[in-house]
Amino acid sequence: MKVSRAILMVSALLLILSPAALASELRIAQVADIASMDPQKVNDVYSANVIRQVYSNLVQVDENMQIIPDLAESWENPDNLSWVFHLRRGVAFHNGEPVTAADVKFTFDRLKDPSTAAPGATHLKEVKSVEVIDDHTVKLVTARPYAPMLMSLSRYETAILNRKAVEEAGADYGSKVAVGCGPYRFTSWSRGDKVILERYDEYFGGPAKIDRLVYRGIPEDATRLIELESGGIDLIPANFPYAEFVNFQGNKGFKTYTCPAMATNYLGLDVAVKPLDNKLARQAINYAVDKQAIVDAVYFGLGMPARGPLSPVIWGFDPNRGDAYPYNPEKARELLAEAGLADGFDMTIFCDARTERTSTAELIQAYLADIGVRASIELMEWSALLSETAKGIGGGFLLGWTGTGDADGGLVPIIHSANIGSSNRFRYSNKNLDDLLDRGGAELDQDARLKIYAEAQELIVDECPLLFLAVQEITAASSKSVEGFRPYPNFIPPLHGVSLSE
Amino acid sequence: MPMLRYFLRRLLLLIPVLLGVSVVIFSIVHLAPGDPAEVMLGPSATQEDIANLREQLGLNRPLYVQYGAFLGNALRGDLGRSMRSNAPVVEEIMDRFPATLTLAVLGMAFAIGIGLPLGLLAALKQNTWIDALCSFVALAGFSIPNFWIALMLMLLFSIYIPILPSSGIDSWKNLVMPTIVLGVQTMAVIARMTRSSMLEVIRQDYVRTARAKGISDRLVLTRHILSNVMIPVVTIAGLYFGHSLGGVVVTETVFSIPGLGRLIVDAIRSHDYPVVQGGVLFFALCVGVVNLLVDMLYAALDPRIKAQYRAAR
Repeated sequence: MKVSRAILMVSALLLILSPAALASELRIAQVADIASMDPQKVNDVYSANVIRQVYSNLVQVDENMQIIPDLAESWENPDNLSWVFHLRRGVAFHNGEPVTAADVKFTFDRLKDPSTAAPGATHLKEVKSVEVIDDHTVKLVTARPYAPMLMSLSRYETAILNRKAVEEAGADYGSKVAVGCGPYRFTSWSRGDKVILERYDEYFGGPAKIDRLVYRGIPEDATRLIELESGGIDLIPANFPYAEFVNFQGNKGFKTYTCPAMATNYLGLDVAVKPLDNKLARQAINYAVDKQAIVDAVYFGLGMPARGPLSPVIWGFDPNRGDAYPYNPEKARELLAEAGLADGFDMTIFCDARTERTSTAELIQAYLADIGVRASIELMEWSALLSETAKGIGGGFLLGWTGTGDADGGLVPIIHSANIGSSNRFRYSNKNLDDLLDRGGAELDQDARLKIYAEAQELIVDECPLLFLAVQEITAASSKSVEGFRPYPNFIPPLHGVSLSE
Repeated sequence: MPMLRYFLRRLLLLIPVLLGVSVVIFSIVHLAPGDPAEVMLGPSATQEDIANLREQLGLNRPLYVQYGAFLGNALRGDLGRSMRSNAPVVEEIMDRFPATLTLAVLGMAFAIGIGLPLGLLAALKQNTWIDALCSFVALAGFSIPNFWIALMLMLLFSIYIPILPSSGIDSWKNLVMPTIVLGVQTMAVIARMTRSSMLEVIRQDYVRTARAKGISDRLVLTRHILSNVMIPVVTIAGLYFGHSLGGVVVTETVFSIPGLGRLIVDAIRSHDYPVVQGGVLFFALCVGVVNLLVDMLYAALDPRIKAQYRAAR
């Protein structure tokens, strides 16, 4: 009698605590809502964050930006133009379709097709053809030996799509339909508001620990913080406002996280105009500015002075590098005198209107004034700044460069002479540097590459067509109950391993 | 019948207005510095990538051709596709419009619901402390920037007394604070307008006559005073409806409400031409229709105006 009553009570309890009541949900606030769930239609980090949970790539990066297997279990180079990838067996997309080499080919062909107009097409620019060897083997052939291939294949833009799902959905793909084979499946998106993802139990890496992810776009900094404080959201995975972060770090009710970002912030110098064509003048500018003071004032200490053109978390960064140019106004004045510019010179600093950029520009202006360089500041709209600097702006310009996570992507676009007129905004040209970068991009032996890039970084720091400023910290915060979250240097943390404690 | 004819004529007049708006917004969007292809591709793009994308987006055609295409499609109810999300602009607008409309209507209801009684009370108790208090509330409501009110409300009702969510649009609770923030300025204007209009009306001869006839105070107020007080109030409310559609941008951003205002602001930031054009055009249509409705209401309230329509016939 007693036993059956106990059973009854337990079963009643179980009923109350049925899966619906127990379903765990992680609510995440980003700065903006996603633009699309189609990896080939976006180039913003907010969409990338959601795409990362839904799709898988051939390979991925870990939190140290090292390549790890994803859909491809292994790969090899039969010759220095070919990459053969062996796919995991028995993996299915969220719609039940098996993941095959044909899907990989479809994905990459679609990305490269000009009519897709994919912002991420550039990552497969070197790929000449994609061949299906068998259901689980795919071969990529490049036009020239291309070492950063794996980093390109780890990017969200190259996430693997399901051919059937894409073709069936047509124009609705990415807004109403999105099918990957990652740990979470796309459930719904109310535009401008939120995206809901549900756990995919058959994920090849094992089911995720949380049942449901809700990604919301909350543009106002203050609102995001209030939502976290009031328990309306659980996690802010990046872009936590610096001014408030220090307060939150001491707050017992929350967890805070930091890690260095992949981006380096710099003041670019257009070397096609006088006197910035003079290396001594550029070095003087580098010595004249106290980068640590800028980090402290503008980033509230959440960052570090740049040690060269690459952030320390980029693959290929030379760990032997110290600060690029320690603050030394004396030396700066000497260099100016040596360059025959003892009376200083006039220059313009161009930047967009974000507070962080304008404050940096003002500090640089003050430091430059100290060595007799008279800088004026001109604010420009963001896309105008991009297009004017691409053409050559004739002064200094504040930008940041994130790259791809590999030294090739961190250096070639901004400084190889082939990119003058577009992303080489310094208009800097150096045969030796071009050679080094070409060799680094073509050398498949990673250790040999490291040496080449160390040499390239040395050369760039010495030539300094840019004032190396700072590497910022990524700032994240969550409620106490979030376990296992880690920010990623590329701003795109996977949430597969994150759980919620009581 | 004359009312109907007037209504139709005004509706026709909306067409040149919208045409004008379309020309202005098209020019502003296309002449502003910056390029959508550049924004979409980011700083790493090569000139070739940008040229290719511009071609895909049809941005290499002469401006008048682009405008012609835009107008032709718009007349058929097709506002193009968003460059950012590739979704039809009409769909994007219709996705967002309900939130904005709800907010605008609630904001106006709040403004009238609070502003009107406040103004009446102030006028009836003229020169007492009640009058002073009402005027103070109205002045404060008008002068304090609404994003500041928004933040203070959030601190109060989301953190100190956590009863209201500070963002999103999941339940009616989400709408309480945005409604207040959106409506508070209009509320202040209506309160002041009502007070001064009321003070004027109660000194009119017809009110004295009505009182002299022995009609009860209540009846005088509702029948003779209020309907006359309402005329300027309706005008102001109508004008401010357009104004508050603009205010929706701030409110929607602060409270993360997926409405039309935020859609347009985001689109401006990413140079998403079709969404900016379509969104602004749609806003213009809304303001035009509301103004028209207000004018109709005006005529219904004021027999003198109705008579004018007859005379004009």
